[in-house]
Amino acid sequence: MSDPTPAVSAHAVAKRYGPVLALDDFSLDIQRGEIVCLLGPNGSGKTTFIRLLAGFLSPSAGTLRVGGFDVQREPMQARQRVGYAPESAPMYRHMRVGEFLAFMARLRQVPSRQVKEAVARVAGQLALTHKLDAPIPTLSRGYRQRVCIAQALVHEPQLLILDEPSNGLDPRQIIEMRHLIRSLAGKYTVLMSSHILPEVARTADRVAVLLGGQLRGQRTVSPADTDLEDWFLSLA
Amino acid sequence: MPAFLVLARKELSAALLSPIAYTIAAVFLLVLGYTFSLTLFATKVANLNYIFHQMYVLSILLTPVLTMRAVAEERRNDTIELLLTAPVAEVWIVLAKFVATWAVMLVIYALSGVYALVLAWVGEPDWGPILVGYLAMALLGGLLVAIGLLASSLTENQVIAAALSLGTFLMLWFADSVAPMLPGLLEPLALNLSLIGHFRPLVTGSVFLSDAMYFVSATLCALWLASRRLADR
Repeated sequence: MSDPTPAVSAHAVAKRYGPVLALDDFSLDIQRGEIVCLLGPNGSGKTTFIRLLAGFLSPSAGTLRVGGFDVQREPMQARQRVGYAPESAPMYRHMRVGEFLAFMARLRQVPSRQVKEAVARVAGQLALTHKLDAPIPTLSRGYRQRVCIAQALVHEPQLLILDEPSNGLDPRQIIEMRHLIRSLAGKYTVLMSSHILPEVARTADRVAVLLGGQLRGQRTVSPADTDLEDWFLSLA
Repeated sequence: MPAFLVLARKELSAALLSPIAYTIAAVFLLVLGYTFSLTLFATKVANLNYIFHQMYVLSILLTPVLTMRAVAEERRNDTIELLLTAPVAEVWIVLAKFVATWAVMLVIYALSGVYALVLAWVGEPDWGPILVGYLAMALLGGLLVAIGLLASSLTENQVIAAALSLGTFLMLWFADSVAPMLPGLLEPLALNLSLIGHFRPLVTGSVFLSDAMYFVSATLCALWLASRRLADR
């Protein structure tokens, strides 16, 4: 019998940076295996919510659970279940790709004997096998994004969080990224953010619209949807 | 492998692949060698007391360069997001950075041991004060690295981190000179905070637990503050 606990459960979450309320009374549940996209313009609170869920920020109010574990009270258990790929695709420039993935695997508590296997698995999954010996500074933007997603998957998390995964990619890389994310459907729960409306419909199962730090609406989506733009404009 | 060891290994390899540690070691040993030769020829006394004071000054000047990147660079490159979203407590991240940087300092200090060997070759040094002097240097190095890490955790600008560290070191150095000008309880407080006040007895061979405890407790305090700074988000 499958676990009925939602992969993500956010209830009345708020985040304040001094006088600025970046996220206000935000609630969202994500079921296991779903691909959910946060859609909204820059500054709408997408990255703030993602960082709260990944444990990088602490909420000013509300509760956040990952796989039933409270991100604040049980941070280690929650973080163990999350793979997070930040928007800027950060990585250590003095490392090679394989070395970086092995470091991230060890940091995420993959047993030493399984690290090599885990690196080979994600390298295969993201078509990075031929790049494992490449120094990180030599990677193109597209490969950096792949490596960043690979590090997020290396410990086989329940929840994969991708902050603007298509940002800075050329059209071909965007298509490849979309196929890649779709290929992860079912095995992982995916929460991603984007501000590109047509891309969201092609990638996600459900979209949640954030504006001014508030959840304005959510619905299921499919590539065949023709009313998405009208729906989005009606919320804005 | 425990996360602490994974992180410490990463920090050490980053330090060894960067030219900063080698440059600092070269400058440190070059200046020390110059001073050592002058002192030895001038005084013809087989002790390293003067050299330890030189090492104290050089440590204060050079440690900020070694520690300024520690956390500030992680913030600037956003790699801090990878560390702080991994299932690792902040205290282990700080301790790993501390141990790796302190290890680099200790290696530099150990390399200066060649001067003690030169003394043994030309004279008959008293090894007790020399060993205690190196203990004092290790304790001093630990404290300076911990304060440098704390400064680096406060900003993403490495130059600001280095300036904060150097300013703090100098204020601690001169705390005992300022003490007589301070009112009431601040005077003994400043005297007790004095870096040189606790370093000088150790380096002259007088081992007081209070001096050793000053370095150990101040180091732990700075590391705790740095880990609180990382946890505060």
